[in-house]
Amino acid sequence: MAEDERKRTGFFQAVKEFVYGVAAHDSARFALKTRASMEHLFILITMGDMLGVPILPPYYSLRLLPYVVPQISTWKRRMLREKDLTDALA
Amino acid sequence: MSLEKIFEQYPNRRYIMFGGKGGLGKTTFSAATSYYLAKKGHKVLVFSVDPQASLTDIFQRDIFGKGPTEIMPNLYAQEIDADRRVKAYQDEIRQKIRDMYGMEEIPEEIESYIQAAAAEPAMEESAIFDEVVDIVVKAEYDYYIYDLVPLGHALYYLSMASVYDAWIGKITGLREQMREYDQVAAVMRRQKELDEDAILNELLYIKDRINKSSSILTDKEKTAFFFVLTAEEMIIKDTQKAAQLFAKFDVPLSGYIINRVLPAELKDKNIPDYLKHRFEMQDHYLEVIDKQFAGEILASVPEMERDVTGLPMIEKLAKTMFGDF
Repeated sequence: MAEDERKRTGFFQAVKEFVYGVAAHDSARFALKTRASMEHLFILITMGDMLGVPILPPYYSLRLLPYVVPQISTWKRRMLREKDLTDALA
Repeated sequence: MSLEKIFEQYPNRRYIMFGGKGGLGKTTFSAATSYYLAKKGHKVLVFSVDPQASLTDIFQRDIFGKGPTEIMPNLYAQEIDADRRVKAYQDEIRQKIRDMYGMEEIPEEIESYIQAAAAEPAMEESAIFDEVVDIVVKAEYDYYIYDLVPLGHALYYLSMASVYDAWIGKITGLREQMREYDQVAAVMRRQKELDEDAILNELLYIKDRINKSSSILTDKEKTAFFFVLTAEEMIIKDTQKAAQLFAKFDVPLSGYIINRVLPAELKDKNIPDYLKHRFEMQDHYLEVIDKQFAGEILASVPEMERDVTGLPMIEKLAKTMFGDF
């Protein structure tokens, strides 16, 4: 009985994941990607003067600094990277 | 209308500010007003938002960076040490980073940013601005007397509130939009719980603090703003311009106080030509002031026989401003 139950939930789980993969995974990935570039935009407008683009009086931007510490190096790399045609395909 | 009447008629006006060009007597009037209110039995804090503050000089007590200091019963004075506040604030940020990520050392690029940010000229003003919010939010006093910075800075200080507010409003909007994308992704992946956005909370906190401070500055019920001027052409013109600008920022102007008026009884005495000319000039510009600011002049304060420092002189000045009390 318990064995049956486990098989059934295992089956439903697989169906659920399949449906998610077909229907929603791409949209979820897109949402997360958009979210990530907004994150970089956000860091730009708050911490802009790290790259020499002063936008916000620094007092309050310091308050936000601790939260973006892990993203700073990827953000800098992305902002300062040279762009070429293949970027459009990515 | 006299100055005393204004305070009697509007007992809810608890944030008192004196504005005007540098050197006209803002600090002196702040001190005298706080003396008057304290003698009337109110608990008063007079504090300076000027990095080159002079409350220490007028009360002849070193209060710089020492927090609220009792000058006499009911009267407290405070000068904000912006440098120290900035340093403490930097340390707080460093500690937060260490705690959040269990780091021993702050990464170099982060550390250099923290140092560079503190070197910005706006940093000092923002730090003072932030401390003022701290002081006012605690609501420990009946009256708060702001010893303001000279005109240009005061305008900057006021406009900073509205610029900050608009700016924070925009990025909070962006942050909320980011949150929506998070939610979409979470729903699709059937995640039940979404982590709280700490940055959004932080932004809302900053917005709240800025709103509190600017709403006090522009609150017609609770705030009285007085302009100090003297009977001289340039000062009258500048005061008019400044009054218009302040009105644009919705600062409720309560009236004007004329300072440094040469006592009229001197005129009857045998005085040199030099002083006679000064009197002619003064009479002319007092007339101009009467016309330009008709009905809004609250007090006319004479030039004192010596500079105003120490409590006995402050008391004497307060009596010329408010009458005997």
